[in-house]
Parts: sequence; C-alpha cells; structure tokens
Amino acid sequence: MRILVAEDLYLLRDGMVRLLEAFGHEVVATAGTGPETLDALLTHRPEVAIVDVRMPPTQSDEGLRAALAARKEIPGLPVLILSQHVEQLYARELLADGAGGVGYFLKENVFDADQFMDALTRVAGGGTAIDPAVIAKLLTSGTSNRRLARLTEREHSVLALMAEGLANHTIGQRLFLSESAISKYTTSIFGKLGITDDSTNRRVLAVLTYLNKA
Amino acid sequence: MSKLVTWLASAGTGFLRACAVLAVVLLVPALWAAAVGLWIWWGAGPWSWLAPFAWAGIGTVALSRPVCKLTRGLVTRWTGTVIPGGYRQAAPVVRMSTGYWWNGFSYERTSRDARQDQRLRLWWSDPATWRDLRFTAIAPVTVGLLAAVPPAGVAVAVLGLLQHSPGIGLLGLLVAVTTAPYAWRPLEPVAVRFLRASFTMALADRVDELTAQRADATVTQAAEIRRIERDLHDGAQARLVALGLSLATAEKLMETNPDQAKALLRQARTGAATSLTEIRELVRGISPPVLTERGLADAVRALALDSPLETEVSAEDLPPLDPPIESAVYFGIAELLTNAVKHAHATEARIAITRQDNAIVVELADNGRGGALARPGGGLDGLRRRLAVFDGTLEIDSPPGGPTRARMMVPCESW
Repeated sequence: MRILVAEDLYLLRDGMVRLLEAFGHEVVATAGTGPETLDALLTHRPEVAIVDVRMPPTQSDEGLRAALAARKEIPGLPVLILSQHVEQLYARELLADGAGGVGYFLKENVFDADQFMDALTRVAGGGTAIDPAVIAKLLTSGTSNRRLARLTEREHSVLALMAEGLANHTIGQRLFLSESAISKYTTSIFGKLGITDDSTNRRVLAVLTYLNKA
Repeated sequence: MSKLVTWLASAGTGFLRACAVLAVVLLVPALWAAAVGLWIWWGAGPWSWLAPFAWAGIGTVALSRPVCKLTRGLVTRWTGTVIPGGYRQAAPVVRMSTGYWWNGFSYERTSRDARQDQRLRLWWSDPATWRDLRFTAIAPVTVGLLAAVPPAGVAVAVLGLLQHSPGIGLLGLLVAVTTAPYAWRPLEPVAVRFLRASFTMALADRVDELTAQRADATVTQAAEIRRIERDLHDGAQARLVALGLSLATAEKLMETNPDQAKALLRQARTGAATSLTEIRELVRGISPPVLTERGLADAVRALALDSPLETEVSAEDLPPLDPPIESAVYFGIAELLTNAVKHAHATEARIAITRQDNAIVVELADNGRGGALARPGGGLDGLRRRLAVFDGTLEIDSPPGGPTRARMMVPCESW
C-alpha cells in the first residue's frame, strides 16, 4: 500500500515507517506539521494516511483539522488518526461525513502490529476502525442510552465489535460464536435500533451515525 | 387626566414612604423624648435624671443596629441601591485541648460565655457599630426633618379644618401634596453617604479576602503537586522499573529459554500499555487534552459526551480565555456534572455557557433530586473557593426534591 505518515515526534515517525516497511508497505511521504500534512495529503493522495492529532505549529488538533480539510477536498480519502488520548468528540467529527475510510486509534495500539495493520487495511478498504476505548465511551454515554437500553448484554458486545469495524466472522471468533449466530444478533440489533439498511460496509456507519444523532 | 392620576398615585406612595422613614428615624429621638418626659414626671431630686437617661443611652445603643438595618432595607426596596452592612463576622468559637473555649479574644470556661464575650467585643471593636450610631444621630435632623413635612402638612390641614380656618387647612394640604412625592427621597443619598463602609474599611476587607484566597490557592496548588508526584511515583515510575526488569530478564533468558523470554516480552508490552493509560489519566486530571486543543466550549461538549447523563450543551462563541480561568471553569463544570450523577441521581442536564459584559457565565441545570448544600470543607465549598481566586462566584439553587440550578460567574478583564 502507498502510505503517508504524519507525526511530529521523530522517534515515533521513524519507528512507524520502519514497521510499515517491514510489513512490505511503501511510505510515499512523511509530514511533521499540520500544513505539511494537508499539502502532502492533497498532492500524494495516498492509499491510506496515518495522522497524529496534535501537531505543530499550534500543538493543538492540527492533524485532525488537516485530515478533515483534505477529506472535504477528496471525499473518502482514507485516514487513520492516531491520538495520545481517546475522545469521542473527534471520532464523531471524523464519522460525520459518512464517507467511510476513517479510523481513530490510540497511539499505544501501534505496538500491537497485527491489530494496527488490520486497522490500516480496513481503513484503506473504505471501512472504519475505531478504538475499542472510544466505542466503550460511545456505548455508555448518556446521549444514546435510551434506545441502547433495549439491547441484551450479548447484543451490546456484538454492537461494540461491529462499531469497531470488524466483520461478522471476526466478531464470531472473538465471542466464540458461529457466524450465523452473529448475523442473527445483528439483524435483531438493527431491528431494535430501527436501522433497515443492511449493506455490509454501510452498517457500521449506520450504527455510528445512529449513535451520533440519537 | 392620566398624568394627574399618576401624580396623585406617586404622591400617595410618597406620603406613605415619608411616614415610614419618619417612623424609623424617630425611634431613637422618641426614646430620648420619653426619657425627658420621665425625668420631668419624676420631678426634683438631684439624681432623678440618671435612670431615665441611662436607659435611653442603652436603648440608643441597642436600637442603632436595627434602625440602620431597617433603613438599608427600605433604601434597597425603594431605589434598588444596595448598601452592604459591612459588619464584622464572628470567628468560630473553638474548644482547646485544655477544655476551655477560645473565641479569638479570650479563653472562657463554657462555649456560651465565650460566645457572649465574643459578641460584646466584636460589637465594641466593629467600626460599623460606630457608623450606625453616627447615622442614628444624623438621620433625624436631616432625613427626618424633610420626611416630616408631608405628615406635618396633613396635620396642619386637619387642625385648620377643625379650627374652622379653611385657608390654613388648604395651605397645609397643598404643602403635603406637593412635597409628598419628594420628601422621602433624601433617604438614599444620606444613607449611602453615612451608612456605607468607608473606603479604608472596604479596602481592609478586600485585603483580608485576598489574603485568605491566596492562602487557599497556595494550599490547593501544593496539594495538587503532591498528588501528581505521588501518582507518578507509585504508578508510572514503578511500572517503568518493572518494565526494565522484565526486559533485562528476557534478554538473559533469550538463549536459554526463548519461550519464557517471549512471555516476559509480552508481559512487558502489556505493562507499557498500562502505564500509558495511567499517565493519560494523570494528564487528563492536570489539563484535559481537548481543553488545550479546542478550548472551553468543545472541551465541555466532550465532557458531556462522556457523561452518563443526557446532556445538552449550548455555548456562545467564546474568545480565547486565560488558561487558568478556562481550566477552573472546566473543572467546575466537571465537578457539578459529577455531583448531578452521584448525589442528585439526575438523568438529564443542560449546560449553557454565555458571556455577559466582562464575565463568563455558566449555567447548569439537572433534573435530579436536589438538596445540594455548600457545606464548609465540602466539594461545592471548595469549588466556590477555587472560583473566588478569580473573583468568580458560584450560586446554587437546589431545593430538596430538585431540580438543581448552579450558576458560575467568572469575570474576564481581558475582554
């Protein structure tokens, strides 16, 4: 894959580039500041970009802003946001355009190379990859409590994994259930949440969009 | 026609107010008049004046504070001008290890004695007492005389009619009606001039207040630094040491026992992740990243998203605030939200952040069971004190049974 890495800390950037190259990917460009990132995103149009939230010059959410701006120019440009902390506000902003191809991950999950590569592949494919910590917060926050209260505990865990962006067979593996059982759960979840559309990639977005607006 | 009606109405209220003013300021002169009357009634005897005048003196002292309080109340109600009392507050009476009671002035055997002694000394040493006495002496000859005009006019009118001299009666009525709307008005300027705490006293009070606030702020800050130090020392630092140990062991075991080395490395990775989580929590407690990255409004929105309450946030466009103020307001909102969940068992909350003149105002309402009290030393009291460092205020309206409304106001000079 052609990948762009935007991260201001040299050690982390270098480490990530080496990790990606070790997995046989091509790093087309790196960036260390917000404006650089936006520039690189628009000129290189990578298959997927890894962007740190906080970057110079302001040391605020430059990276996130650059990613959002680039996605406004090029809808669906796959971006995986890395952050030192999880904030559902940011995750919601990324998901808001509904174009897919976004991820929001804790930096430390980069340590888990398999999970990281998996997330990267999913984002590049137009899917979503949201950190479990964010999902946990989304599911417990007050704004979505009422309708979610109708779900059973099992349905809750299925929905959480689904929202992370996992496919049915992966969810089945994680919960030690068959794939058909999972699809039964998903159908009942959609029923309880009042979501009728069932196309494979859209469903995660549908769930998250629902959580957004509820 | 309607003009005449409003004029008459204002004359009516003016007349009533003048009578009220007269009644209040004449309380003490009436006492003295009674004393003189008593003296005359008792007649001769070289010392017969002593008792009535002693009583009148004591009565004056006792009446001065109620009279001034009444006057302040009247002025506030009629003109909206608030004249602060500025009385000295009593320090708490505490029991010493010897069993005696200390009231800030002296040791007493019982708490009742200590309180009584304190009241007396406080009364004696309070400049506000002398201010009150001065006002009770001045008021009758200034405000009192002017307020007496309309009632006197009425009295003349009645007398004139009874004596069958309609000319004098009409004149009295005319005087009463024309002066009635204005006669009570000197009360405000006189009260403001003589009852308000002097500039020096206000300044002294302000210095006391600021000293207390500085002490508060210093103590809070020191405690916060100690907490951070402890958390780092017991948490992240210890974990990093353990991490280093695991890595060293794994290095040693690499050749002899690769399986165990692998297990240790996996453990080390988990340890690194855990210490990261800890540090993240710590950082969030010092300064929430969203606050740094996005400012107050978005940080509160993020807070609302994370809260188990159904929370609605409305925020005006805020200019960048001073970081300490922003942080104080943010943590204040966080604390109020936590209280709403933990103590009031609320399910919904509304937060409104607005700017009013030179202040930022946060209003937070929940649907909980209410009954929140700012007990000394409690969380709300702590919050109030933290806001006071910035001259901010916290008002809580929380009747038992709910709902609770909290209002934080912090002035921002930079706007």
